[in-house]
Amino acid sequence: MNDTSTVRRLATRAAEATPPPVVARVGGLGDRAIAWLFIAPTIVLLLAINIFPLIWTIYLSFTNFRANRPNAAVEWLGTRWYTSILTDPDIWAAMQVTARFVVATIVIQTVLGFLLAVLIDKKFRGHGFWTTLILLPMMLSPAVVGNFWTFLFQPQIGLFNYAVSFVTGLPPSSFQMLGDVSLAPWAIAIVDTWMWTPYVMLICLAGLRSIPDYIYEAAEVDRASKWRQFWSITLPMALPFIMLAVLFRGIENFKMFDMVNLLTGGGPGSTTEVASISLKREAFEKWRTGYSSAFAIILFVTVFGLANIYVKALNRVKQR
Amino acid sequence: MAAGISTAHSVVEPSPLVRRIAGAVVILYALITIVPLIWIGLTSLKSPPDSISYPPKILFEPTLEGYCNLFTTRSRQTAEYLQGLPAASGRCEEIARQRSMVVVGASNFVPRFWNSVIIAFGSTFCAVTLGTLAAYGFSRFKVPLKDDLLFFILSTRMMPPIAVAIPIFLMYRELGLSDTKLGMILLYTSVNVSLAVWLLKGFIDEIPREYEEAAMIDGYSRLQAFVKVVLPQATTGIAATAIFCLIFAWNEYAFAVLLTSGTAQTAPPFIPIIIGEGGQDWPAVAAATTLFLIPIVAFTILLRKHLLRGITFGAVRK
Amino acid sequence: MTTRPDPIPGAADGDPAPRRRIFRRGPWENAATGLIALGVIMLMQPFSIELYSWSFATTLAGTVMFIVVSKFPE
Repeated sequence: MNDTSTVRRLATRAAEATPPPVVARVGGLGDRAIAWLFIAPTIVLLLAINIFPLIWTIYLSFTNFRANRPNAAVEWLGTRWYTSILTDPDIWAAMQVTARFVVATIVIQTVLGFLLAVLIDKKFRGHGFWTTLILLPMMLSPAVVGNFWTFLFQPQIGLFNYAVSFVTGLPPSSFQMLGDVSLAPWAIAIVDTWMWTPYVMLICLAGLRSIPDYIYEAAEVDRASKWRQFWSITLPMALPFIMLAVLFRGIENFKMFDMVNLLTGGGPGSTTEVASISLKREAFEKWRTGYSSAFAIILFVTVFGLANIYVKALNRVKQR
Repeated sequence: MAAGISTAHSVVEPSPLVRRIAGAVVILYALITIVPLIWIGLTSLKSPPDSISYPPKILFEPTLEGYCNLFTTRSRQTAEYLQGLPAASGRCEEIARQRSMVVVGASNFVPRFWNSVIIAFGSTFCAVTLGTLAAYGFSRFKVPLKDDLLFFILSTRMMPPIAVAIPIFLMYRELGLSDTKLGMILLYTSVNVSLAVWLLKGFIDEIPREYEEAAMIDGYSRLQAFVKVVLPQATTGIAATAIFCLIFAWNEYAFAVLLTSGTAQTAPPFIPIIIGEGGQDWPAVAAATTLFLIPIVAFTILLRKHLLRGITFGAVRK
Repeated sequence: MTTRPDPIPGAADGDPAPRRRIFRRGPWENAATGLIALGVIMLMQPFSIELYSWSFATTLAGTVMFIVVSKFPE
């Protein structure tokens, strides 16, 4: 009780003591001050939680620091880790695993997503409801749902194997989606496709709906065939949107971790060891902090470069 | 827009046949898509033997065993010991007795779930508060290097989580924030604030400046105009943004698995390590997954009109 | 970078003439984009480890160029 009144009294006094020009500037005209007052907290937070650690990582990437031996003497190694990562065939192999995963998922998801968008754009009855259903997987946790997919992929009892054997006639225990060297990458691609096709579909749908009707009407008047219309109107005009989806999925899958970690953990062997999994092994299992910092910086610069292109694509779409 | 209210095609209207075929294909895809989700729900109601039967059972006698196993820890006892016990009190004890076990306590699931709730709501609140202020600043004022700042904010979200986790791990160890809820809230806030700024900037850009200018002519200060004119107008946008942040924090796995192990562990790293006797207890995992997914499904349905905005950082609005 | 579809272009962003600037910046930005894309392809291609070794330098150069080029006044 007493406290509040004291605070209030102090507040009044402080308000009285504040010179009027300052009040006017903060409260009324000082837009510049307000702008900074509003933006600064966000920037400070990001500097503390993102940029400071980033600079620290850059520093560590030039040293032999190990997180499990914090008291050992830290030695400056220059660019040795970078040279060793960029000549290491194993890391190169991990990059290729990542590349195959990224390319396969992007191709499948773009084709499937675009086709679905074209079909949904026909506005059949109840398309709103079915669209919402299709969109569900995209919002779910890749880790929690990916974990459940390991159950669906079980050789004998799994629903996925059962469904495949139902369609193809193969015995359901004859193939192991997660244990087989040639199937494991596809298992991950299947879950990723299930999850993220809706994402591509939604953006493609926006692209299709951004095409004004009069262009099609004009094409009808010119007696352009539907096939012609698709190739010379629909596809080119939806292309910026498709690019946006492809770039974002590319970036996301380049740094894919959750699902792979839970479905295969990089195995069998190292057939699904994507870059993030290698990085996790180096950083949090072998504790080679300096080495993994250099690796992290290489991945980071790649993603940062792609993010530049992504924002460019974003602005191109925005201008429509 | 997801509901699809847009201008009707006139001469380009698809024929009824085309429409019907399109509908059939999309519905088929949608049904295939939700099969795994339905399977999660069904498995959560199966007994462990039913869950691993071949062929997979669609018809079965539903039981709450999965949920019971999720919430309790049990220990196996000898038949003589079980004979000597008084009659089982409660459904879970009964189910445990049938498997010659007794319930010995609560499992870690509830605390982990609560961690998820606290961290998700805490970080969402912080991110949306910071994001609203920053978005207003970027939307209404001349800010030097505005585009660079906005790009910088967005790029922080794109960083690979494992790359960020290395220095955060070291930093939190120095600061004593390892495995604390505060640490996770700070981290998720910093990841979510970028989405919040971009999304909310889009929403605030759509509120005509004239509203505030009129209010300011009426004698409101800039701050008052912000609170009394802009905020009420932006409610929908703020709510949609909050749901997006909430879903992200709720779903996040990479940071959680690397940076938390006990007191601050959230549900996503916990659910995969639920094990029963002799391997994974799939009904219990499915029960946890069901409880974990229900809020997201509900939120997704609420959010369906704003999904497109959310996934493109506010760039695509139609 | 963010040119909003304002009724008065650039009025809010403090850009004196965004249209002209974008056109001038365009080719440079495209070159930087190409360099980044090349670097990413070099990083992930399965053909030559030599190219892989130079990928990081290429991506870094492209990214730095992109940042510099986005500051081009016209």
